[in-house]
Amino acid sequence: MKNLKLKKGLVALTSAALVAAFAVAIPSAARAADAPTCTTANKVETCTGTDDNGSKYEIRMPAKFNGTLFVYTHGYRYNVNLPALPVVSPTASVVDNSAAVSPSEEVSAALLAQGFALSGAGAQRQGFNQNEGVDAAFQVMQIAKNKYAKITKVVSWGNSVGGLTAQALAEQYSGAVDAVAPMCISDETQAVLDKAAGFLWGFKQFFNPAIKGSDYSAGTKGYGEMVTDIVAILTTLNEIKAAITANASAPAWPASSTVPATLKAIPVRSAVLLLGLINGIPTQSNTYDASSGPAGANETTIGLVISPSLAVLENGADAAILAVLANYDAEVTYGGVVFDNTTTNYAARLGDDGVTYRAALTGQAGITGMLSYLSALNPAAPRVKANAAAVAKMNSVYKLQGKVEAPVITLSATGDHIASAGSALYLAQKYAISVDNGISKSGKLLNIWNAPDAEYTKFDAAGAGVAPTVPTNGVGHCKYSTSQIVAVAKLAAAAAKTGKLPSTTAVKAAIKNEPNLFVDPNFAPPLLKFYQ
Amino acid sequence: MIRNKSMRRASLVSSIVVTGAMLLSTLPAQAATPGVTATEIKLGISSPLTGSAGLSYGKVPGAMKAYFSYINANGGVYGRKITLISRDDKYLPVRAATETTNLILKDNVFAVVGALGTATHAKAYKAAALAANNVPDLFINTGYSGFTDQTKYPTTFMVLPTYAMEAKVIAKAIKDNFPGQPSLLIAQDDEFGTDGVAGFTAAGHKFSSANVLYPQGYFSTPGRDAAVITSLRGLLAAAPGSKPVIVLFGTTDVTAALLKAATDAGVEKSFTWYAGSVGADANTLLALGVKSTTIDGVVSASFMPDAKDLTDPYVKQFVAINTKYNKGITFDNYVLAAMNSAMLTVQALRAAGKNLTREGIMSAIETDGAKFASAGLVPLGYSATSRIGYNGYWVSQLNAKGEGKPFGGKLVVYTTDSGAGAVTVSTFVRPTMPKNGIPTNS
Repeated sequence: MKNLKLKKGLVALTSAALVAAFAVAIPSAARAADAPTCTTANKVETCTGTDDNGSKYEIRMPAKFNGTLFVYTHGYRYNVNLPALPVVSPTASVVDNSAAVSPSEEVSAALLAQGFALSGAGAQRQGFNQNEGVDAAFQVMQIAKNKYAKITKVVSWGNSVGGLTAQALAEQYSGAVDAVAPMCISDETQAVLDKAAGFLWGFKQFFNPAIKGSDYSAGTKGYGEMVTDIVAILTTLNEIKAAITANASAPAWPASSTVPATLKAIPVRSAVLLLGLINGIPTQSNTYDASSGPAGANETTIGLVISPSLAVLENGADAAILAVLANYDAEVTYGGVVFDNTTTNYAARLGDDGVTYRAALTGQAGITGMLSYLSALNPAAPRVKANAAAVAKMNSVYKLQGKVEAPVITLSATGDHIASAGSALYLAQKYAISVDNGISKSGKLLNIWNAPDAEYTKFDAAGAGVAPTVPTNGVGHCKYSTSQIVAVAKLAAAAAKTGKLPSTTAVKAAIKNEPNLFVDPNFAPPLLKFYQ
Repeated sequence: MIRNKSMRRASLVSSIVVTGAMLLSTLPAQAATPGVTATEIKLGISSPLTGSAGLSYGKVPGAMKAYFSYINANGGVYGRKITLISRDDKYLPVRAATETTNLILKDNVFAVVGALGTATHAKAYKAAALAANNVPDLFINTGYSGFTDQTKYPTTFMVLPTYAMEAKVIAKAIKDNFPGQPSLLIAQDDEFGTDGVAGFTAAGHKFSSANVLYPQGYFSTPGRDAAVITSLRGLLAAAPGSKPVIVLFGTTDVTAALLKAATDAGVEKSFTWYAGSVGADANTLLALGVKSTTIDGVVSASFMPDAKDLTDPYVKQFVAINTKYNKGITFDNYVLAAMNSAMLTVQALRAAGKNLTREGIMSAIETDGAKFASAGLVPLGYSATSRIGYNGYWVSQLNAKGEGKPFGGKLVVYTTDSGAGAVTVSTFVRPTMPKNGIPTNS
């Protein structure tokens, strides 16, 4: 986990600063797409413009084109301008509507060098906006095909929500694409929010009831509440991390916590872990592998009870921040609270993890105490009720049907803390139903998984985990190496050419130099808790 | 509500299976059983080799390998040599999940044998998709009764009796041998301990004070063991002249910590210490610094002969194998149990026949497993409806040499179930050891 180093001044952001940052872009009205403006450099023609919705797009066409166009949809971007906030936006930021043609410039260079054309857009309205994402991807694809008649095959691909969009494009526009490659595919908005906002809700109940978390006020006031929440979360996270660092065996709860003293007798790390487990936050993170400890007498204990909690804390920071920003955006967009846990059974959601992590959760007594506090029967931990109309609006977007015509190759990290690997399984299950119903043909979907090494945590001389300089493989959100992404892209391109999934031999050959990637038809990562 | 949940689960499982089948359909059919060739059977084990649990359990894979080497040197199983691939999970659930997955995907083993630990194996079983891959999960080293659930663990075969069974036998032993004495349970607060608590409850045993339940790792913090011993003095004060029975239902390191703390406090002989089978290995207790005078008199329960009893033909044979194929390793209860599981494995492989398949070996254990020869002094309970291994215990008492002798001088074997069934004296007669310890069953 990054050292947040909060400044006191940050906690008291001035109203003026909030008002200045609170300047949400107003989507432009629909109009005709601009004709692309093209330039050529390094044997690549780059064309840019805006589509019917005003979304920016970009196309890159190499001089030695092999006939296949990749249409990329980027992942979730905050739909709100932010003042300078540690970790979240180190410098003040505005909504990013720029077009993206691949996950990174390095990936773009690698694919262009192999003769693939690239394209992508940046939706006019960010946040969870699948409908416009699909439309933007479809439009840039059409613009590219109109301009370059030599395009013979199209691969739709994307990261996270973009992966969801890429698949939705293929399902909604029959025959439009020849293969799909969703990477770190996200789940539907309600399921994702259930995970992130569920963690935030528990975080609030356990550690800092001053956090609002949802039901933000209208206008500038609500914006201020949202920013204040982020600061409160970061402050509380820092305090918890400091407590665990100071006394891993019995770390104290943050000062802002109002839970009873009997609950505070449980080490706060157990409470963090419980929140992660009941919401599906992985127990492996960029820094912590839940499998190792510094050499010495406490090596096993640290791996067993400390490391999983620190991993959840590291992952949970991202989840909680996402929950605030996404909840805020969704409430503004859909007109009310969209998160609802009035009927959530957190004890049931713990499931077998209660066996696996019994020691780290301070035994059955610890589990019982913590779950009792989060029970719907406890008035001190009130549940959140959604606005039904707002939820209905949020859910009115296209839902994946698992309708697969063109081959689909997914790439998912087993420890992705934002877009769970179970989201790829969810798509596979939808596909299975689609096959059962005679809508899709079998043998069209291949899941490739990316797992972390057995051990990767590095410890300093004091025994504390050291954040890696290079993102850890198999964990983190969409943190794939360039070679992994290119391997999957090339498999998708091959599938686009034949209309079939590559053979086992071809898949093995494609990933033979990627030791963290594997294919196992029976591998079944847990679905999001929303579905359990 | 329950019905709906069940239906959703059934639907989910169905979808996963269908998905797996569909994805598989894109791949060429497997020509042969994974991990089996004309000359080799590849098995895998995930267990702690290092870390704090490695001290106790680290000998298990080596002992199993030693027995398999012995079998291989004597022709193998229908001409096939057994290879055991061992991966170190450090007794950590996430690591166990990783290593078990590696055994299936990277090592391509035929079956998993001797997996160790409740939390570790529960996590690993699911993560490595052992059920979906139909991987035999043989002779696991945990007594958690949850593993008897064939719906959840359809490929799993236990070898240890359940912890609930053990608790019921201990309850009977306390009633029969220490009538009227106060008693207290100190147990690990997880499935291990709660299984035990359930057993004591089923047996109708009432402890004198509230159970002391602690999370695994609790006693790694200095001073906590001494604090528990201090609290035990209350039992003495409440019943002057008594010798309370303290049941330790935890791992050996905790038994050692508490016995040492009691010795330091000078009260080790003020109590009758009753250590559960998981936490009573004398060699480990001695290695962890418990005085032999403190060990002398500790009561325990076991389903195996004592590892130091060289009059037992199984022990004698396994000691000989250990000397030749596991050089430098002291023969103890862990080595004995591991070699015994290896012998069961060989019999299961033989019973499955020359055309070895995953379905075949599981079916063979269900059909013939209860008749397999083994060192266990209690019956094996395998059948089409039961995946429990041993079905009972005998009560032992350690002496200063660390030898486990029948309590009261006479071996009495008890058998029971994990539920409300009675604890009865067994008439079980152990099968004769195969000649030279080499099974010839078919």
